[in-house]
Amino acid sequence: MIAKVRRVVQILFLLFFLFLFLIARYPYTGHTEADLFLRFSPLIPLFDFIQNFSVSWVFWPALIILALTPFLGRFFCGWICPLGTTIDAASKVLGSPSNRTSQKWDRLRYLKFAILTGTVLLALFSVHVWGYFDPLSIFNRALTVVLYPFATLLVDSTLLTATRVPFLEDAAYFLYDPFKAFIMPETQAHHQGFFWILVLLALILGLEKVSRRFWCRNLCPAGAWLGFLSQFRLFERLVGEACPVCNKCQTECKMNAIPGGDVQHTSKVECIDCFNCGAVCPPKIKAITYRWRWKPYHTPVDYSRRQLVQTSVASVAALGLLNLGLPNRDTRDRQVRPPGALPEDQFADKCIRCLECVRICKSNGACLQPDSIHTRVEELWLPVAVMREGYCEYNCNLCGLVCPTDAIVPMTLEQKQHTPMGLAHFDKNLCIPFAQNSDCIVCEEHCPTPDKAIKFDIKEFVTKDGVKKPVKYPYVIKELCIGCGICETKCPLPGHAGVYVTIANQKRAGTTTVPEQASPYG
Amino acid sequence: MHRRDFLRTAGSGALGTAFLASSFESMLAGPASPHVVWVENGEPAQLLAAAFKEFGGIQHFISRGDVVVVKPNMGWDRAPQFAANTNPDLAAAVVRECLNAGAKVVKVFDRTCNNPLRCYTNSQVEARTREAGADVSQIRENKFVTKSINGEIIKEWPIYRDYLEADKVINLPIAKHHSLCRVTLGLKNLMGVMGGNRGDIHNMFTQKLIDIDRTILPTLTIIDAYRILTANGPVGGNLAHVKTPRTLIMSPCTVSADYTALNLFGLTLDDVDVVKEAAKRGLQKYDIRSLNVKKVRLA
Repeated sequence: MIAKVRRVVQILFLLFFLFLFLIARYPYTGHTEADLFLRFSPLIPLFDFIQNFSVSWVFWPALIILALTPFLGRFFCGWICPLGTTIDAASKVLGSPSNRTSQKWDRLRYLKFAILTGTVLLALFSVHVWGYFDPLSIFNRALTVVLYPFATLLVDSTLLTATRVPFLEDAAYFLYDPFKAFIMPETQAHHQGFFWILVLLALILGLEKVSRRFWCRNLCPAGAWLGFLSQFRLFERLVGEACPVCNKCQTECKMNAIPGGDVQHTSKVECIDCFNCGAVCPPKIKAITYRWRWKPYHTPVDYSRRQLVQTSVASVAALGLLNLGLPNRDTRDRQVRPPGALPEDQFADKCIRCLECVRICKSNGACLQPDSIHTRVEELWLPVAVMREGYCEYNCNLCGLVCPTDAIVPMTLEQKQHTPMGLAHFDKNLCIPFAQNSDCIVCEEHCPTPDKAIKFDIKEFVTKDGVKKPVKYPYVIKELCIGCGICETKCPLPGHAGVYVTIANQKRAGTTTVPEQASPYG
Repeated sequence: MHRRDFLRTAGSGALGTAFLASSFESMLAGPASPHVVWVENGEPAQLLAAAFKEFGGIQHFISRGDVVVVKPNMGWDRAPQFAANTNPDLAAAVVRECLNAGAKVVKVFDRTCNNPLRCYTNSQVEARTREAGADVSQIRENKFVTKSINGEIIKEWPIYRDYLEADKVINLPIAKHHSLCRVTLGLKNLMGVMGGNRGDIHNMFTQKLIDIDRTILPTLTIIDAYRILTANGPVGGNLAHVKTPRTLIMSPCTVSADYTALNLFGLTLDDVDVVKEAAKRGLQKYDIRSLNVKKVRLA
């Protein structure tokens, strides 16, 4: 019974999270905060505390979960976590082996504690990489880059193909119109770095072939953190006298939280409150019941002192290694961050790589993309504006509004319109007027500032036939340019644009000055 | 001949006949019917009604059962007061007039420059024309068909199917400053039904635009000059650049309408290559040097 309730709750939470994902688009009212579900992450308050030594109420969903966990256990993993639910679905599809065969992998359980300890240690040294492992970030990343675009691609092309079949046309459009209105109002999303996010998702789901909830058992730092907290459980599984020790509960346990040969016990660290044990207990016997009981006992975590020392050493090593790459200014040149992003180091620390900004940008100018590694590992999946494929919409400030950690500081539209992300530069070797002495100025036409940041000179050009013709040669006015990049997006050249945006003149949130020319000495 | 080719030829033949018929009709209407009507000093709906009256009512252009396309400019993510998009009240009034004249359906769309959802919403054209009963839809990439142009430079170009298949087309631009072609009016507004990489058109702009326009001229051009944008166009964004002549210009000939609208900006034919080229290439229905322009000033 309770297992059925749990399943319904799981699906409801998944639908709720999907709903929040779908409303993260233009028009965005903000009445329902689309980033709310990212703030369910139990890891957020922990790392926020390490960073600021204070508890922020913005993360109230996570704080409620953390407050209840010591007494209820890892209910978040079993009932709420959308990644967990997706993994359960994958398990159904792939057919996971029973614990009899998969329990040999339980020696990897320490890994999740190692990942948690490692990320905490790095965070203490102000290197925040935990976002890569956060289950809600992973889920949102997968949704943004892989699952949602794939779904829209399938539905969109299927319905459009169906419209070409005469007798299906009406039915197809009947489905297509609401689909375009509510599910996919924007054009098809495409992302750089798609492949690796797909591989990681496939890996997490594919590991269900090795054991059920492989990710949750062995790797998830949020699971480790909640398991570590859930020492005072009030709601207990009791096994009655009638138990014939059929071991069904043990072999069917999603987390293998019931030790083999000792069905009386439950590992509080591993149990995710799925209540499958009660459901699989043979109906004639029904030896398993659940009771409220205050009788604390200790469940040791699968993490030895030796492993702790190893993790610590590895973390210190990682700390050094993460900073050894050459910080080449050349590669930083095009790393234009969203408007209102904190200064780069702080930004990398606060950003959890959930890509919610990338998601909402898709229904606007669509410039934001997950970044790749240029010089430092931490650059991976930070939002970066790829302006050849999209631009920052002048009247849009939504990325800051949906950032769950305020790594992109929310700004009013007015503020955003006066915060340069970068600066446009003309590449005179490519730009049509300079390279071909022929009119174009599509860039100037699209420039959105009330006083155009791109202006042009009209100069006379003498053609090879000796004919004089006036040509409009564009140039940028630094004081007016906000680096929105629509010039780069709309440049009609087939490949490289004749105008492009760099980080020059960018103004990061919380800074009062715009860095003029970056000094080579830091 | 393949069946499809036959249908295409037959279709274009029918269209051509329709064009001939309509110009023949206007000739029959005699000197009473002006070439261009210029109405000023009124609200959008009043301006529109007054202009149609000069042509003897909208029935002169729209027949019962017509599928009508109204093509406003809603290419930019700007509110109406910035004069970057066609006045939403005027667009709604046009839709209402068409439906009153018995149009079967009035379709409204534009291929935008900024994000299409934002443009449709913030120009307010979508909401107002839908209210008026129009079928407003976003551009669908699968609806562009390659049209043979056979122009001086452009040989073929994708054009929106709904536009090509419409019985009547009302071109509804706003009069704006434009840096490349000085001003943007009816001829330039037709770019909103062109697919492909429109940036490509901007190099050798005049010839290319006229190449394509030549093949897709509308039934009627109504230039919205209720507000006009005098600088920083076509995007605008500065209210100081917006003037309010409260004017409307209507003509079955796009070139004549555009030519007349140059007066709004104090420009001559030599200032605006697009109109000049169009006249040179014979896109006009009337001789623009001897236009019969009817001026109406509302009380």
